Formats: sequence, structure tokens, C-alpha cells
Amino acid sequence: MTTIRLKGGRVYDPANGVDGEVRDICIRDGRIVALHPQDKVDTEYDLAGCVVMAGGIDLHTHIGGGKVNLARMMLPEDHRLNRPRDSLLELASTGCCTPGTLETGYRYAQMGYTAAFEPAMLATNARQAHMEMGDTPILDHGAYVMLGNEELFLEMLARGEDPQRIRDYVGWSINASRAMGVKVVNPGGISAFKFNQRKLDVDEDHVHWQVTPRQVVHSLARALSELGVPHPLHIHASNLGVAGNIDSTLATIDALEGLPGHLTHIQFHSYGREGPKKFSSAARQLVERVNAAPNVSIDVGQIIFGQTVTASGDTMRQFANADLGSPRKYVGGDIECDAGCGVVPFRYREQSYVNALQWAIGLEIFLLMDDPWRVVLTTDHPNGGPFTSYPHLIKLLMDKSFRDEQLARLHPDVAAMADLREIRRELSLYEIAIMTRAAPARLLGLTDRGQLGIGAAADIAVYREEADREAMFATPEYVFKDGRLVARKGRIEAVPVGGTHFVETDYDPAIEKTVEAYADRHASMSWRHMKIGTDELCSCSNGGALLACKVHGRGRTL
Amino acid sequence: MNTTSNGAAGGAAAQPGTWTCPFCSLLCDGFALESGPVLQLHGSDCPRARSGLATFDDLGIATPSVDGAGRDLDAALDAAAARLAAARLPLFGGLAADVQGMRALYRLANVGGAILDHAHGEAMMPALRMLQDRGQMFTTLAEIRNRADLIVCIGTDAVSSYPEFFRRCAPAEGHEAACRVVFLAAGDGMPAADDIPWASAVESVRPAGDIFDTVAMLAALLDGRRIPDPDGALVALADAMRSARYCVIVWEPARLPPHGALVGETLLRLLMNLNRKTRAGALTLGGNDGAQTANGAMSWLSGLPLRSRVGPQGVDHDPLQYASARLLDERAVDLLLWVASFTPDLPPPQTTLPRIVLGHPALAAACAQPGTVFIPVATPGINADGHLLRADSVVSLPLYAMRDDGLPNVAEVARALLARLTSGVAAKEGAQ
Repeated sequence: MTTIRLKGGRVYDPANGVDGEVRDICIRDGRIVALHPQDKVDTEYDLAGCVVMAGGIDLHTHIGGGKVNLARMMLPEDHRLNRPRDSLLELASTGCCTPGTLETGYRYAQMGYTAAFEPAMLATNARQAHMEMGDTPILDHGAYVMLGNEELFLEMLARGEDPQRIRDYVGWSINASRAMGVKVVNPGGISAFKFNQRKLDVDEDHVHWQVTPRQVVHSLARALSELGVPHPLHIHASNLGVAGNIDSTLATIDALEGLPGHLTHIQFHSYGREGPKKFSSAARQLVERVNAAPNVSIDVGQIIFGQTVTASGDTMRQFANADLGSPRKYVGGDIECDAGCGVVPFRYREQSYVNALQWAIGLEIFLLMDDPWRVVLTTDHPNGGPFTSYPHLIKLLMDKSFRDEQLARLHPDVAAMADLREIRRELSLYEIAIMTRAAPARLLGLTDRGQLGIGAAADIAVYREEADREAMFATPEYVFKDGRLVARKGRIEAVPVGGTHFVETDYDPAIEKTVEAYADRHASMSWRHMKIGTDELCSCSNGGALLACKVHGRGRTL
Repeated sequence: MNTTSNGAAGGAAAQPGTWTCPFCSLLCDGFALESGPVLQLHGSDCPRARSGLATFDDLGIATPSVDGAGRDLDAALDAAAARLAAARLPLFGGLAADVQGMRALYRLANVGGAILDHAHGEAMMPALRMLQDRGQMFTTLAEIRNRADLIVCIGTDAVSSYPEFFRRCAPAEGHEAACRVVFLAAGDGMPAADDIPWASAVESVRPAGDIFDTVAMLAALLDGRRIPDPDGALVALADAMRSARYCVIVWEPARLPPHGALVGETLLRLLMNLNRKTRAGALTLGGNDGAQTANGAMSWLSGLPLRSRVGPQGVDHDPLQYASARLLDERAVDLLLWVASFTPDLPPPQTTLPRIVLGHPALAAACAQPGTVFIPVATPGINADGHLLRADSVVSLPLYAMRDDGLPNVAEVARALLARLTSGVAAKEGAQ
């Protein structure tokens, strides 16, 4: 039995309404407990002058799976520079935009993050995604399975299948791939691109299946709601990156008809068509709509200037942008009648009007949202920028003068005109704690993470208070994972294997017959291998804890 | 040391879908394997699978050896660890292992710093260099099965190394749509129409000139450039590719002459052009003997693909310098750790450097030499569980132990070596 007391730190724990109160946090065997001040502990840390938060949770970061690995292989230039190792516990691993899994785990932990979720796990690539995440040390992890472009689902939708059958199929897919939720990417559009369709608006028919993105979004959101899956449908909406796409983004919100939905990397979907360059910020329109729609949450996908790589399942949009690649390379693939992938290296430039405006739009969204519980801090790693830029992003949000300095360096039209100039808001530590831990935990249904209440898992980040928020958040004083000290002033102190979060849904198993018949006709592997068994998950995830969340559907009929 | 996980073990005929074949990177899982002293394949006459399985017939007791003398496993591990500890720059070659094996080998490689390259490293480089310099435009088996209306095999008959390839591309009965198969500059002895019964036509196009000329000409025709006196059949093929709804190019880097990456780059440019108007993708045939897996796992763990050196100084990748043959020829390394867990067809290269071989039991005779430590290991899909990545780089499949031959798997051996190295025992012995 190990006991630890974190003494006298300033605690920000929004899930329990604690806003900067100086108090002790005590840990026994990996959990937060209440101890009497006189109780002896094994180790006591004096946290005077420190800020204490739950470990950070990244609910949208591309850390594992085929396209990420292709991006690694494709960009040796991103991996040439080896950061000197601070600790002999670290194995060799390198890279900035798409680091090796080992490097990913070390860097996240050094930054005070203790969990990360891969948002785009293909059902047919789920094993590899779990293997890569299993090789990402220290962090707990999970993934959302990509649905809505696989031919079986589209076929069911096209023939007007009973929503209960679709719900059963969605439940089966979640269980088979060991997913934490469901993501839809360019609803129907990845499939449509395989039929040579180059554009798909929310109410436009898929050229082959004659179903619309609106139908896809609604039926998936309904299925998840009926299954009782905590994480709302994770939506990468239609028309990513296209000027004027605010219309399709708002139409996608309408398609939910009040059902829960999480619109991801919303910055890339909040563009107007105003002004001389026919490209403008639609942040206000978006925020107005989201503020009024309590069923909707978002993460931002802030862009960060410099080199990165965009890796997405959205082949339709990625192929359209292939010529913008820098360096000029492109990986694209049509995958298993299931989904696709497109990888385009990209350099965001301060002097590009479009990039500068994208930067401003992201910050405007953060700063205009009324309710921090419905907006999560992300860069859509690596698509907007690498996750290692989070401390910089936090400083931009907390420091108006720093923001103004950065804005002044951008394309002159953006620097002179952006709405962002007028926004005076500076986020508080409490609000940052919401956007980086408490809100993602709540949106994922993680009841014992992202918070510091009694009984919670002792995933804790301790930062030394500094006026320079970037320096403060880059190198926490201490990071604990399940009560174990894993990083100290940026040095890795322990490398535990992280756990795998997944949900287990309740569905009518008769749906397996449909899947089996489909696999015989169309798939390239036995339907038995479309499921990852528990022992297999254990092996894939390197023997980490299996953090299953059982959910029971509503309105289930057998 | 391993477990037999599959219910099919013990002599019963397995159901299709309960065995995954490890003998090529297509990883067929639709056939049944009857377990027992002699493993019997049902549902396929694949010569590759049959010859692979035959190497396990009546497998005797395989014992480790040190310098040609039989030793027990612990003694062989001690000797191997001592030699590894004494090496300043070892090469981890072969790497015919599964994901779990690669994970453990990666940790071992990190201890003193080792270079990692696969037995098929040379054949993998054209596709890897193409990916690093230009990218790739790929498709996968299920897409081909459901969508292809034109398959062009360039410089390969596909079936010599991947005998089940066309059966894996076959549309389901009752779902056949017209699909032509064209072999371009594929040499002699290609499959006939009878071998691909579902194809609407099977043709061969053999323009004059080498493969570099042929693909350059094809790309130029697809660009719409005017070419003096073009080959008529090539012109017709370019037209067919342009008018196909979903054209699939199949290529096999291992069959290309030196500088094959140039063929790959031209194919990629041609595919990017085709995709501006219609849809098309490539399937790269390669990655046998765990090459796809070794490269995949290496890339995700380290951030860089094979032909990299890992260790306390970080990761250093060099696709030319870190080629096994070159390193051994130049004696730039001082020890070879060779892994060949699938077949005896990957013997370790001859060298006077010390060798540690984690190999198929049938490699015992070839490894009974002074300077060589041989440790027989289990084979994923035969007598060990495991995971492999398929040729199309997307799908990975579980493999099951169909029987228990009492052999350790690669991961177990690598972990045992790591334990000896990090405990310091090996270092002391090595200094003696």
C-alpha cells in the first residue's frame, strides 16, 4: 500500500467545482483518498507555488493506425532530429508531427497528459490501431471506430433498414473493434469518392447508394443514443476546408435533430465566403448556433504555424488538396469497402491569408463559446499542428497581449481585419482545466478521470505557477499516472503500460448473420476476424489494463 | 513455452476462418488446416502454403546449438547474450517475425544499439523510397474484389510469389461484373484465362523495350502527350485505363531491376493523373516473411522505417548504408542476429562474423557451425500465436498455434536475451 500527499497546491478541479483552492490531495494505491492531515504517508510533496489539475485528456489526436504509420514512413525528414533523451527509461523514438508511438507517450506524459484518444480507427485496421496505442507508453488510450462510409452500412441505409437493425449493427461494430465511440468522416463522402464523386453536400445523394450525409449522420447519432454510448457521435462534417462550408456545418447540426453530436476540428468547418478573397471567418455564426444547441459539443482543431502533416480518412477532400502538399507528396488509399485515407504534408504560413485566417478562426471559436464544457482544446494532432504545441495554444488563450503580438505578425489583411482583435477575453486556469481535462472526460463518459474527487484515479499534473503560461504548461513539476510518478520537470521517471478504454454495448446478436453474409460476398477476410477477442485485445494492447465501460441501451427490443 | 489457443488443435479438421496462413503476405484465412503431426491444408492447392506446411511434417525434437554442439535452451541463451553483449554494432537481420516478436526485438536492439533490416530489405526499398520521395496511391483486396473493372499487372504475373492472388480478387458468385486482367511486360508463363475464370478477358501486352521504357511510355500516353510511333497495344491499354471506372495497377518491387523506385514513381504519377478524371489505385505485392510487419512495427515504435539504427543516440535511418548485404560485406557490423521464424528458406547469410540465429527448426543443420548460436523458434500460425500485417498495409490478422511443439516464440527468446543483457550477467561473461 503506497500513500502520497500532495501538500498545499492550488487545486483546479472543475468537475468538483474547485477553483484555485489551496488544499491537499492524497493518494492511496493509485486512487485519490481522504486522509487526515495527521495521517502518515510514504511520500509527501510540498506543492507551495504549484497548480494542481487532473491529468490532461486529449479526445482527438491521431496517434495510432495505418495512416499515421504511413505518415511516419513518408516523412523521414520529420524524424531525423533526435531529441536528446533525458532518461535511460526512454527507448529510441523520434519525430515531431507524427512521432513514433514511444515518443508520443513520453512527450504527452512530460506535458501532463495521461490519456489520448485516436479518433479515426478503421474497423479493418482496428487491430493495428490497438497495437500502436498499446505501444504508446504511460497514456491510457481508446479509439472511435469510423462508420458511415462502409458499404454494408450504406447498403442497409439505402434499403431502408429498420433503425433497430442499424443500431444493432453499430453496437456490433463498436464491440468488434473495441471502440470507445463512433466517428463519421465526410458522411458517405469517402465511399462516394470511390464511385468517382468529387463533392457531397449534406442533402446531396451519394451517386451510387442514393443516401444523403444528413441520413447518415442522423441514423448513426440515433443508434448511439439508443445504445447509450456515452460519447456523442464524433462528426467530421462534409466539405472540410472548403470556403463557405459553414452552411453544411450548420446543416449537419440540424441533421442531429437534437441528438447528441460532437463536431470535431470545427475550425476547418467554419468558413464563410465573404470579402475580396471569398474566404472569411464564420466563427460567430457557428458559435451562435452551438451556444443555442445544448446537444452539440465541439473541439477546435487549432492550426499552429509551421510544418505538419495532415492525415485524414477524408479521401475526397485530401485528394482535392493533394497539390497543396509541402513537401509535395501524397498518400491516398481506398480501403476494404470500409473507409479510406489521405495524407498530405502541410506547412501553415503566417503570411498566407488563408492560413492566418484559419488561425484566427480557431481562436475566435475558443474565445466566443459561452460554455467551456462543450469546447475541447485540440489541434487535431497532427492536422492543425503537433500536440506538443498545446502549451503555446494555452498561452494564446490566456494572454491577450501575447495573442496580439502573434496576430500582428500575420498576413496584413488578417492582422488588420480579424474579429479576433476585438475579443478581450482571457481564459482562466479554471477554464483551461475544463477544456483540457474535465470536459473531455465528461464527453467520453469517464467518471473517474479528468477530476480529483475522492475515489478518482490519481492521474495528476502539477505545474509550477508562472506568468509565462507556455513555459508553465510545457514542463509540469510532477506528473502522476494512477498514483505513480511518471515525469518530473520533463524527465520520464516511470514507463507503465497504459490501459485501453472501450465500451461494451448491448445489441441483438442476430445482426452477426448479416455481417457474416456481407463478409462472404464482399470482404477479404473471414468475418470471424472482424472481431477482436478479449485475449487478443490484451496482446495487441501490450497487456495494459482493459478499461471496459458496459452500457445498456435504451428502448432495446428483442 | 507457448500455448495452443486454437480449438482446432488436436487432430480435428478446422473450420475455414480459424487458420491464418503465414507463408505469404496475403494472409489467407479462408482455408481449413487439419492439425496433427502432418498438417493438412483443405480448400487450397497453394504451392507456397503446401511447401511451407511440409517443413513441419513430423518435426523432430529441435535443440539449440552453440558452435555446432547441441546445448539446452538456457545455455544457448547465455552464449547468445554473451556474444551480443560483446558486440559493438550488431545487425538484426532477417526479421521474419510477427508483431510481438518485433516489439521484443526492438527493445533488445535498443540496449547496445543495433541496425535493423529485413531479409527482403532490398526488395522493399523501391516502394519505401517511392513513399518517402513522392507518396503512394493504394487500394486493398476488398476494393479490388468489389470495384475493379481493369487490373493491370505490370512486370509481374502476381501468382509466382502470391499463388492465391487472383482467387483473393475474385468477386463473389453472382456478383461478377466485367473485369479485364492485363499483364504488361510480365514475361512468360502468365496465368491463362482458365486460371482467372471470373475475368471477362485475360490479355498480355509486351511492348519492345525494358520496363522503364514501358511505364514511361504508358505514363506519357496517359498524360496525353504525343509520342512518335507508339506501340498500338500500349495505346489501347492507356485508353482502357482512362475509361475504366476503377483501374488497379499491381506491381511487385522484388521483380524490378535496380533503380526500381523509378518505376514506382512513374506509376504513382500516372495514378495521380488517372485519378483526376476517374478512379484508380495500386496494390503493391511484397512484404513476405513478415517484412510488412517488421517495417510497420519498426515505423510505429521508432518513427522511422527499417534500415535504421536504434540505441542510446536515438534513431538513424539510411536506406542505402544500412543494407544487410553491404554491412556484412564491408564488415561494418560485428555480429549478425538473424531471425527466420516462418520457413527454412531464409538461411542466415554466410559470414565469418559471429551469428545468433533464431530460426525455423529445419535451419539447425545450416547453423551448426563454429561462431553460430542457433535457437529454434516457433512459427506464428503453426505452433505459436501471433499477428501479421497484410501486403496491402491496412489489414492485420491474428495467427493461431495449431499445435504445440514446445518451442519458444521469437518474443520469448528476445525477452530472455534482454533479461540477461540488462542483468549484467551477459556483460561479465562477454568480458571473459
